[in-house]
Amino acid sequence: MEMTYKQYFEAMPCYVTVQDRDLRVIDGNDRFREHFGDWDGRYCYQLYKNRSEPCEQCPVARTFDDGEAHRSEQLVTNLDGREISLAVFTTPIKNDKGEVTQVLEMSADITEIKRLQRQLKESQERYRLLFEEVPCYISIQDKDLRIVEANRRFREDFGQFLGCKCYKTYKHRDEECLHCPVQETFTDGGVHTSEEVVTALNGDQINTLAYSAPILGDDGQIKYVMEMSTNITPIRELQTQLESMGTIISSISHGIKGMLTGLDGGTYLVNSGMAKDKPERVAEGWDMVQRNVERIRGMVMNILYYAKDRQPNWECLGVSDVVLDVVKTMTAKAERHKVELQHDVQLAVGTFEADSQAIRALLVNLVENSLDACGADRKKDSHWVKMSTRGFTDHVEIEVADNGIGMDQEIREKAFTKFFSSKGMAGTGLGLFISGNIAKRHGGDIDLESEPGRGTRFVVKLPRSRPRDPVSLVAAATG
Amino acid sequence: MGITAKSVLIVDDEHDIRRFLSTILEDEGYHTTTACDGEQALQLLETLLPDLITLDVAMPNKSGVGTYRAIRGNRALAHIPVILITGVAPEFQEFISTRRQVPPPDGYLPKPVNPAELVALVERLLA
Repeated sequence: MEMTYKQYFEAMPCYVTVQDRDLRVIDGNDRFREHFGDWDGRYCYQLYKNRSEPCEQCPVARTFDDGEAHRSEQLVTNLDGREISLAVFTTPIKNDKGEVTQVLEMSADITEIKRLQRQLKESQERYRLLFEEVPCYISIQDKDLRIVEANRRFREDFGQFLGCKCYKTYKHRDEECLHCPVQETFTDGGVHTSEEVVTALNGDQINTLAYSAPILGDDGQIKYVMEMSTNITPIRELQTQLESMGTIISSISHGIKGMLTGLDGGTYLVNSGMAKDKPERVAEGWDMVQRNVERIRGMVMNILYYAKDRQPNWECLGVSDVVLDVVKTMTAKAERHKVELQHDVQLAVGTFEADSQAIRALLVNLVENSLDACGADRKKDSHWVKMSTRGFTDHVEIEVADNGIGMDQEIREKAFTKFFSSKGMAGTGLGLFISGNIAKRHGGDIDLESEPGRGTRFVVKLPRSRPRDPVSLVAAATG
Repeated sequence: MGITAKSVLIVDDEHDIRRFLSTILEDEGYHTTTACDGEQALQLLETLLPDLITLDVAMPNKSGVGTYRAIRGNRALAHIPVILITGVAPEFQEFISTRRQVPPPDGYLPKPVNPAELVALVERLLA
């Protein structure tokens, strides 16, 4: 029997020692001898750890103290100097009186297990980092569409999620979405994509491109679905801008073609007038050339203004000076349009701070719009455009009124919209937009009243003093 | 017996283009009438029967396409050849030419208009 137990002792696939109360090793198996040497009355701490005194948390000492079995992990060094991680189990050996006389210590080599544990931890940490830091939203939903895990970006934009239904968190809905990529993945186990519009905690609408992928459990069944959503709002905004650009270019192209045809017409009349000795035709043609050159110049200046982000060049201006200057500039054009250009300018209106060039451009655009409106109106015998001024304590008003064709509700509502033109696409649609933009940059606004068949009234309201926060005004103006 | 000059109705919202086209055609011996938009054109066509119409596509009040449909839909006018003059993108022309509700126009001319092309097309359509 003793022989059998001795065989078991030797055959154990771990290190086995028996130690006395002084922590001397009094017996050990072959495996122990092979890796740590002959004990020969030496202490366990000498053999295992090359120490000259007992370890602080010695499991053998604890077992001697309390008579209980203990488990611990220890790092020891074998005869070759290699460090080995051990899982140590100590068991009391008691005499007939129940006193612990010796302790049986069994130690299993868990070095490889510890190494794999470390690797696993590092790997988990890497994936955790990836999960948390990836620049998109990741959420993991269970079969009930409850979110069980989400990354940092998701938490920042959508807030608390644990246990919440994904459609509630993402879209503030009370029921499932009609076409849910997560549900589709639960159904067929495939990867699905869809474009969604979700609502962030702060109320922002976010365009996302969502991918859903299955996460399998140990049984091979789909336990969760991971939903990864990329914010594509900037792309959609860019797309909208590009579509606008397409419309702009088409509109500008059409306008330019009209003006080029007008230029061609002028030169044709000049050349044919000279060839046929018709001086009146030559004069008419030359007028046409000049008119269309002016139109092209106006269009180019508007396009350049739009393309360039201008900061106002502030100076103190007399309201009456500015208006009279515009009247002088536009008189010749008004005469060509057979429109009477009137003005009612009060010197007492005083001054205001503004960018002189910008304000002149604003007013010229309004007057040109009025001249065109008069030209389009065939119902009246005579037409006029009138500029007038009014002064208030903190702001000034410059009015441009006409008795032209007037605007219906649609045109009134869209008049200051970028690239909207009521001139049958003949204009760039930039003129009024730029005027509105200039007014906003000055901290002001343009009111519009109009009635089809009767005429239009623009009232430009501008503060007397430069706005205190021009940066935010620029942002508001450029929208 | 004198040959009556063929007449052309020129419809365009831009004065300079009306003047340009009418001068080209009058120099070639055609008689021209002008209209500044589709509405005025249709009013004129109640009493006037031109031999040919040139029609701008993009106009306020009544668009060129709307005016064209009205002309083609009127039995008294449907036979008159129509040239669409347009500075709009070629896609729009393609769209118009594939519409099945009305027959396509008899010709297209892009802007800027080439006088020689205009004259050649008018001569061909009125031959």
